[in-house]
Amino acid sequence: MPLRSLRLRLLASAAAAVFLALALAGFGLNLLFERHIERREALSMEAKARELLGALRLDKNGKPFVDTLPSDSRFNEPAGGLYWQVTTAAGQEHSPSLWDQSLPAATETPRDGWRVRRIPGPFEQGLLVIERMVRPDQSGRAVLVQVATDDSALLDAQREFGREMVGSLGLLWLVLIAAAYGQVVLGLRPLARIRAELDRMRRNPGARLSADHPTEIDPLANAINSLADARAADVDRARRRAADLAHSLKTPLAALAAQSRRAREAGAHEAADGLDRAIAAAGAALEAELARSRSAVAREAQASERANVLDAAEAVAAVIERTEAGERIVFEIDVPEDMELPFAASDLAEILGALMENAARFARRRVAVSGVVAGDEVRISVGDDGPGIADARAATALVRGGRLDEAGPGHGFGLAIVSDLVSATDGTMVLGTGPLGGLEVRLAWPVLAAS
Amino acid sequence: MRLLVVEDDPDVGDDLVRALGEAGFVVDLAVTGDDAWYRGDTENYAAVILDLGLPRLDGLSVLRRWRSAGRNFPVLILTARSEWTEKVEGIDAGADDYLAKPFAMGELVARVRALLRRAAGHGSPLIRVGRLTLDTSRMSAHVDGRQIRLSPLEYRFLEFLAHQQGGVAAAHDIAEHLYGTADSGDTNAIEALVTRLRRKTGPGVVETRRGFGYVLSEEG
Repeated sequence: MPLRSLRLRLLASAAAAVFLALALAGFGLNLLFERHIERREALSMEAKARELLGALRLDKNGKPFVDTLPSDSRFNEPAGGLYWQVTTAAGQEHSPSLWDQSLPAATETPRDGWRVRRIPGPFEQGLLVIERMVRPDQSGRAVLVQVATDDSALLDAQREFGREMVGSLGLLWLVLIAAAYGQVVLGLRPLARIRAELDRMRRNPGARLSADHPTEIDPLANAINSLADARAADVDRARRRAADLAHSLKTPLAALAAQSRRAREAGAHEAADGLDRAIAAAGAALEAELARSRSAVAREAQASERANVLDAAEAVAAVIERTEAGERIVFEIDVPEDMELPFAASDLAEILGALMENAARFARRRVAVSGVVAGDEVRISVGDDGPGIADARAATALVRGGRLDEAGPGHGFGLAIVSDLVSATDGTMVLGTGPLGGLEVRLAWPVLAAS
Repeated sequence: MRLLVVEDDPDVGDDLVRALGEAGFVVDLAVTGDDAWYRGDTENYAAVILDLGLPRLDGLSVLRRWRSAGRNFPVLILTARSEWTEKVEGIDAGADDYLAKPFAMGELVARVRALLRRAAGHGSPLIRVGRLTLDTSRMSAHVDGRQIRLSPLEYRFLEFLAHQQGGVAAAHDIAEHLYGTADSGDTNAIEALVTRLRRKTGPGVVETRRGFGYVLSEEG
């Protein structure tokens, strides 16, 4: 099964690549070390060989002999680990340490310098040998000179070096894996940020990925943003089409109402009643759908929009003052001129319109609209001097209003629209009894979002 | 009384004509914006019922043209759009009332009657008191030549004060005039009305005589 985790995949490949590199490095270092200690050992053996050469003679038969034995005592101990041997065609002489053994013969031995090689030797020892051909007198007869040493010390040093090197390379491997882990985590962190931002986009469809991602992530963020824009445009178009459809159905509904009146005049009262009920239900469903789409739009709206509370309240009051329900009502609007809320003015007009119209319908003389910034909230209240409703029933009206389809046009319907819009714009709504004695609707929005 | 109904949907238009005819009005029907504008501009109607969604020239444009040409008959707008911004726009364009479709015919007739009642009975068109000028035919007011937007209630309040001919009107009498009946609580409503009105007119138009009532300032 292929690795699903990007992090594991990156880590595994980094670990493998680093391991390979370190293994190669270890092999190379081992080779260098071996050559180094061989060269050093060969140098010390050359010194001993020169001592030997100084004492090398040939007898008249051409057999070599050494008149003074080299000083190192290991030459004299049998299997002592240090050996010499001189060979001619006529005979051979070797160090006492070789006892009854001899060093293997060599061919094509150079005359101009020492050749170094490793060979299996007597006494089951591996040997490091240096050898060359020399001519000790004027006769021109050549002698093969060999000096050898047991290579177990070399092997020990090599093994020890190898052990230490594997240890340190292993440690280095771990450190590099840790570094790679850090790199992977650091490299993948922008993806975690993208995930967090996508989560925010899910909760708030109006949000977009930020523009300060690393260059490699930027194209991805841009692609996601343009996808989100395209989807938002689609949704917006669909919503507009639904709203247009709802609006365009209203005139035919009015035409149906005309038919119903005609039917009633012709004496078909039952048919007219049925038509009227159907028209009322269809009208309520249309209003509910329009209100729902308005709330959905408000929920996704950009935070850049601002609604001036005083302007909206005055504009709505100017409308209601001209209607039959509002023409006897005085609006007391007490809102600071610069008070603003962070959403579309049309949404605020919808909220205040429904509340103020409702208040005007139930008021005796006065409707009060007030706005204050209190603590961390912008508070707006709409109250009237009408009979009011008991607080217990206020809650019920809201709950019932919460189901737009069932509420129908009327008291609960307007409040339901408002309640929906207020929550869509992050506000809260409470019903109670106001200072004028009638129903008061208190709205509040967090001040951070409001200013 | 003659009314103009502007409605492009034949069913709704016929129904409006019939219902208003039964209610005792003489009704003309226009089905396009151009036709509506021409008729409204050339004939004297007591009131107009205007649908906003019209072919060629939309209802709001028709209304704006009438108002800028000085046609001041009351206009009730019919709209399929029930948003408040649309209502505000309609009132801003010069409408006197609005009704959203689908509507109950009984309510429409009642609204038309209310519009006619409000507009009725103004013989002499202009009343001047100090800096204030009231135009009784358009139910509008000017202060120092600047037009101010009045609600019908505010207009009736100013008109009542203007008819006192310099005398002080007691809050109780004002309330009785505005509301038909009055009780002790209504003086608060009058006070609120004056507060709101002063915000539009500025100071020095409506004056308070503490303990007595209100009077229009006669200083020019």
